[in-house]
Amino acid sequence: MDTQWPRWEVFKQDRPDKPYEAVGTVHAPDAEVALLNARDVFVRRPECHSLWVTPEAAVVRLTAEELAAQPAWLDESPGNAAADEIYHLFCRNNFRRSMVAVTYVGQVVAASPADAMRQAVQRQHADDTVLWWVVADSALTRSNDDDIASMFEPALEKTYRDQSTYRGRIFEGRRRGGTVKEVPGS
Amino acid sequence: MPPEPTHDERLAEFEARIARGEKIEPGDWMPDRYRQQLIRMISQHAHSEIVGMLPEGAWIGHAPSLRRKLILIAKVQDEAGHGQYLYHAAESLGAERQDLIDALLSGKAKYSNIFNYPTLTWADVGMIGWLVDGAAIKNQTMLTGASYGPYSRAMVRICAEETFHYKQGKEMVSLYAQGTPRQRKMAQDALDRWWWPSLMMFGPPDDDSPNSAVLMRWGIKLRSNDTLRQEFIDEIVPELHAAGLRIPDTDLRYDTDSGHWRTGPIDWDEFWRVIQGGGPMNRERLRARREAHDDGLWVREAMAAYASRLAVTSDQ
Ligand SMILES: [Fe+2]
Ligand SMILES: [Fe+2]
Repeated sequence: MDTQWPRWEVFKQDRPDKPYEAVGTVHAPDAEVALLNARDVFVRRPECHSLWVTPEAAVVRLTAEELAAQPAWLDESPGNAAADEIYHLFCRNNFRRSMVAVTYVGQVVAASPADAMRQAVQRQHADDTVLWWVVADSALTRSNDDDIASMFEPALEKTYRDQSTYRGRIFEGRRRGGTVKEVPGS
Repeated sequence: MPPEPTHDERLAEFEARIARGEKIEPGDWMPDRYRQQLIRMISQHAHSEIVGMLPEGAWIGHAPSLRRKLILIAKVQDEAGHGQYLYHAAESLGAERQDLIDALLSGKAKYSNIFNYPTLTWADVGMIGWLVDGAAIKNQTMLTGASYGPYSRAMVRICAEETFHYKQGKEMVSLYAQGTPRQRKMAQDALDRWWWPSLMMFGPPDDDSPNSAVLMRWGIKLRSNDTLRQEFIDEIVPELHAAGLRIPDTDLRYDTDSGHWRTGPIDWDEFWRVIQGGGPMNRERLRARREAHDDGLWVREAMAAYASRLAVTSDQ
């Protein structure tokens, strides 16, 4: 038997005052190992305050192109009395270069993933919104504050991983216009 | 309901989106060939990160100081992470990581040619950081602008980490190049062996690069092999000279008219020979990858067994 295990979507919060961001996926046999693998893959450097993981299949996604083809997502629907589950909403608002797919924008109470997506689209709908993700709160596994010291703080001391540590004479020439200014033998 | 758009209409809209600078995201329409080319490129790139751990990893136990050892371990860990970022991007296109890894282990998939050369001395570790990571940064910086969202994002994440790889290598080799006679000799010997393979990392010359036109139109490749190679040469030659090293190319000269450094001819026969399996380390790299994969099997099995017990307990 060999397996690559299921994929888990990883959301990382850099600091308590920052939103969670979708940074990528890891493979793991269960949620606990997914958190550990997420630490190894996405927290080799500062900063990290908290990680969430969820089975990749638990994320419901929509793109602007898909929304244009199915405008029914934008139809107002009557309030749903059966809504009783919390969903977290994530969006992306531009095509700029960045290392995260979507960023946390808030939560809603919904009756189903589709209901949550409808609310997400209606709440975050501007011409520049290009991605919407929703995840049920019950599908998330979170690191907790007790994990910070063992999982995230060790990265703080590994300053040699930080490119700004490498200073001095040989790095003084800065790359400008495709050439490096360094005086031979200086 | 409006009629379904035809394939040609979709293709026109797809190309228009790329021309406008939009990113293609999983779930969006894309031509099959775009998907296939991306899976091929991204998985080759992922394999290069993973195989790239081997030449340097071999020196972890022989590092000359604790600081150098910590740096090297951190770099090799980063490369493992880069591999995972990239497999993730390929998976978002519908590829299975297991299939990609099987293709690597069976010898079907390619990875960067540079890793089929041996690391003979400790200075090679620094020279790889300076030249190989330096060359990789050029290509990867270009790819941060790729039209496929997940690939572009993986590249932004990788580039943020690569600068450390390049700088620690430059720092190490520059120190040796101004150190004891033995250190200087070791640094020069490393440059003599890694110079030409580093220039080959940018791939065959433009007139011998069959996929490039469509890759450029679809925003997967944004600049040509020769353009990137020339830019790298123009940056790295003054750096190496400043360190007091001699570049092993008697034809190398500065062309004042164009402002470019011109090298002698690159031995493309060697490039093709190594790609086709004739390099010094091709067999050893695959042997080591297979061994690592097989040796890890019991761990994967144990973790899967634990996870399934956990699932049974939580059902009760
Ligand atoms: Fe890398
Ligand atoms: Fe690197």
